Amino acid sequence: MARHDSRVGYGLPTLLAVGLHVLVVVMSVITLPSREPEATSSSVVQATLVSTETTTDQALRAEEARARATQRQAEEEAAAADADAAAEAERQQAEEEAAQRQAEQQAEREALQQAREQERLEAEADAQRRAEEAEQQARLREEQEAAAEAERQRQEEQRREAEQQREAEAAERQRQEEEARRQAEQEAEAERQREAEREAERQRQEEEARRQAEQEAEAQRQREEEEARRQAEQEAEAQRQRQEEEARRQAEQEAEAERQRQEAARAAAEAASDIDSLIAGEQESIANARQAEQAANSFQNLVRNAVEQAWIIPSGAASGLEATLRLDLLPTGELIGATIVSSSGDGAFDRSVIQAVERAAPFREMRQLPPAAQSQFRQFNLRFRPGDVR
Amino acid sequence: MNDSMSIPHLIMSASTVVQLVMLLLTVGSIASWIVIFQRTFVMRRAKKTHLAFEERFWSGVDLNELYRETPSEQETNGAEHVFRAGFREFNRLLPKTRSPQAILDGVQRSMRVAWSREEERLNLHLVFLATVASASPYIGLFGTVWGIMGSFQSLSMTDQATLSTVAPWIAEALIATAMGLFAAIPAVIFYNRLSSEAGKLLGKYEGFAEEFHSILHRNLQGRGESDAG
Repeated sequence: MARHDSRVGYGLPTLLAVGLHVLVVVMSVITLPSREPEATSSSVVQATLVSTETTTDQALRAEEARARATQRQAEEEAAAADADAAAEAERQQAEEEAAQRQAEQQAEREALQQAREQERLEAEADAQRRAEEAEQQARLREEQEAAAEAERQRQEEQRREAEQQREAEAAERQRQEEEARRQAEQEAEAERQREAEREAERQRQEEEARRQAEQEAEAQRQREEEEARRQAEQEAEAQRQRQEEEARRQAEQEAEAERQRQEAARAAAEAASDIDSLIAGEQESIANARQAEQAANSFQNLVRNAVEQAWIIPSGAASGLEATLRLDLLPTGELIGATIVSSSGDGAFDRSVIQAVERAAPFREMRQLPPAAQSQFRQFNLRFRPGDVR
Repeated sequence: MNDSMSIPHLIMSASTVVQLVMLLLTVGSIASWIVIFQRTFVMRRAKKTHLAFEERFWSGVDLNELYRETPSEQETNGAEHVFRAGFREFNRLLPKTRSPQAILDGVQRSMRVAWSREEERLNLHLVFLATVASASPYIGLFGTVWGIMGSFQSLSMTDQATLSTVAPWIAEALIATAMGLFAAIPAVIFYNRLSSEAGKLLGKYEGFAEEFHSILHRNLQGRGESDAG
């Protein structure tokens, strides 16, 4: 029974213990790098993720707001158009009415005139007819008398033999008398006709005068009416314009107030956190991709913030230092090179600046920029001042 | 992006005090594991030899023969050591005195000494394990506090209250606590287990010493009567 082996040395336990610790260290070193990318990239990538999330949201909200604004504008326009149309219609109606009234008046006047004309014509015709009638009667009577004369002449042919001389004289006389009478009659007729004509003339003149007076009165009235209407219209127009102006001004004020409020909210959000503003800028850029300037601006902000986050200012650096750095970027946002354009004079400070840029390096947001802005940011300068970060 | 947050990088970039704390904790952890392994082997072997010796002792073999078979006193341990110490004292006292009480007293004393040596041997380094278990969390905590102090000092110097300035400091500070716990937890567990095993073995040795004492007492009683008769 050899008991020598019952003594336990320290060689094997030491080997085992050291081996265990080496195993633990090796595991911690080997497993970490594989886990590292997602862990380390969290700072910037998360920001982007959040940004896109919020982007859509805010873009949506902006879209909504815009839609609301356009809708409101459309409504306002519609209302204005309605009012316009109503006023227009009213005016048209008024005009139409006025025109109708005028037409009516004119028609009336015309009718009146026509009637008067007709009257006059009728009177004239009457007079003429009467003259004609009188003439006809006279002719008829003449014919009858001529027939009677012929009869009498024929009857008294024998007598005429005897009394031819006398009878001839008598006939002559009679004829003369007849002639005279006819003449007188004709004269009377003419006189009457003249009288009638004069009468008609007078009537016409009267008519004329009256018409003129009426026309004048009418014109006066029309002018007055016109004037009144124009004034009313002008007033209505002015009133309408004033109202429109008022409404527009109010709408504008409201829109202005709304915009200001939104701006204030945005400013507040910006003040609340840089990243938010950054994200907001980023969102805006994504939302309106055509606004390249804004996008470029936000990208610049983003880069500046990312670099500021990664920037560890050397503790001994004076506060007045300032360095400008030129960045060369790939379109994917990766850093090709960073060179000091104007040195701060402090080597440690310059190195810290370059390290900060390299640490912040892949600016993946570059890919979301519009091509014009991308080419603009292929190379750009960043200025570093410790005062900016504080 | 960069490996500034990996554990080796954090350890290398830590401040000197924190690095010293980490070194201390690493050494403590390695030592405690050496103790754990060594004690585990010792306990296992002691249990095995105790079982074998008990089997042989109670197999009815002659005690003188058993005494001759066993190696010298320095190389034995456990119950065997107790038996050798007691039997050697018995053999030495037997020719010198006729009083059985004096012989039994001497044997018991000798066996108690052997037992206390065994106790010392079994509990060797277990106190170190207990020290590591109780002290390393505090040492790690000290490193963490020191590191955070340094981080706040650097924060006041840079005037740049970003998370990226504070994070490396706090991370490397927390590594010290992690290492303290890493050293302390196995030490606590194995201290409890090993000390309970040692206690059990010592109990068995004590029981064996009592039994051996009663055997010797019986032999002396018989001889005293034969002497008297």
